[in-house]
Amino acid sequence: MSIQNLNTYDPFADAIKSSEDDVQDGLVHVRIQQRNGRKTLTTIQGLSSEYDLKKIVRACKKEFACNGTVVEHPEYGEVLQLQGDQRENICQWLTKSGLVKPEQLKVHGF
Amino acid sequence: MEEDMVFDPSLKKKKKKKTGFDIEAALAGETKTTDAPVETGDVDVPEDDSLDLDNFGKKKKKKKTFFNLEELESALPESKDKKPPAEEPEQQEEEIMDDLDLDIDFTRTKKKKKKRNLDEIVAEEDVKTEDQEKGDDLQDDWFGSDRDYTYDELLERVFDIMREKNPSMVSGKKQKFIMRPPQVVRIGTKKTSFANFTEICKTLHRQPKHLLDFLLAELGTSGSVDGNSQLIIKGRFQQKQIENVLRRYIKEYVTCHTCRSPDTILQKDTRLFFLQCETCGSRCSVASIKSGFQAVTGKRAAMRAKTA
Repeated sequence: MSIQNLNTYDPFADAIKSSEDDVQDGLVHVRIQQRNGRKTLTTIQGLSSEYDLKKIVRACKKEFACNGTVVEHPEYGEVLQLQGDQRENICQWLTKSGLVKPEQLKVHGF
Repeated sequence: MEEDMVFDPSLKKKKKKKTGFDIEAALAGETKTTDAPVETGDVDVPEDDSLDLDNFGKKKKKKKTFFNLEELESALPESKDKKPPAEEPEQQEEEIMDDLDLDIDFTRTKKKKKKRNLDEIVAEEDVKTEDQEKGDDLQDDWFGSDRDYTYDELLERVFDIMREKNPSMVSGKKQKFIMRPPQVVRIGTKKTSFANFTEICKTLHRQPKHLLDFLLAELGTSGSVDGNSQLIIKGRFQQKQIENVLRRYIKEYVTCHTCRSPDTILQKDTRLFFLQCETCGSRCSVASIKSGFQAVTGKRAAMRAKTA
């Protein structure tokens, strides 16, 4: 027979769990840059370094049918670059895959 | 209609212009005025008119019923408990605050000079006509009967009185922040001109430099203000795109984050920007403008030549 009151209960269970879940902290900035002509470039800055950006870019390239690369920047860390205006695509993809929460996404540009 | 005739001199020049932009509102306003019962049957009406014009000038057009209502109530013997309704308004006020959606209108027509006033007035008219109708209802319900007031009636009454006492609240109820649309013109193939940049800065009460920083950071390009105070941005942009960016700027750096009033001051304090609201007095810090990562889009060879 168990006494409910004496059950062990970890008061920090929630906190630990959520901190483990959230690898991504801080905002992810999605920007667009104009290139020559009507060509554009999408940059995704601020993805957590815990993630393997090379894998992400590989998946994105396939998904959006565009080229892309990972650029190392001294201040901003690893930044993802994708060809074309992929802002909506990448936002949807990041939230759908659960890498980033929608409120952590910040889209810049026009 | 009769009312309109009576009050026309005060705002006829506004009324005339009303055609282009807000037809729905205007229509609604007009139909309501026509429908609104004119049979208030009070002797005080003319008096009130004069009162109106004297006190409130041209803005207050349809105050008549409120005055009547008030006088009536003061005349009524059982205007006893004002306390209970006075407690409630807070809830509703909050709702109103929520309603107070700052829709930022970049209306597209050319004749903008008059528009700002106009829209406000139209909105106000709407509000007022509604109130008038309600006021009339109330009056009719209460007048000459001994029955208790219902909660809704009392609430309505308190709000009527409140609006009457401080007219600024009426316009604050449905606030619209209207500004002229940005004039964006392409120069050649690679540059864009934002012709009324300085003017927009003035309407927003912001330093041109701040807005410039924001625009350039958001668009990820470079640009500068030229001799005739227009902004030249590198790259092709359309008016719609600039509007979007401006909207974001207004949301972030112009409207108060608490009460959404556009009446704010942006001050720099120890390297941080603070947004001070003139309406509600709140003060909060806003994010500094960062352009973030910029990819290399130009010719790499040229860049290397420049640095080396």
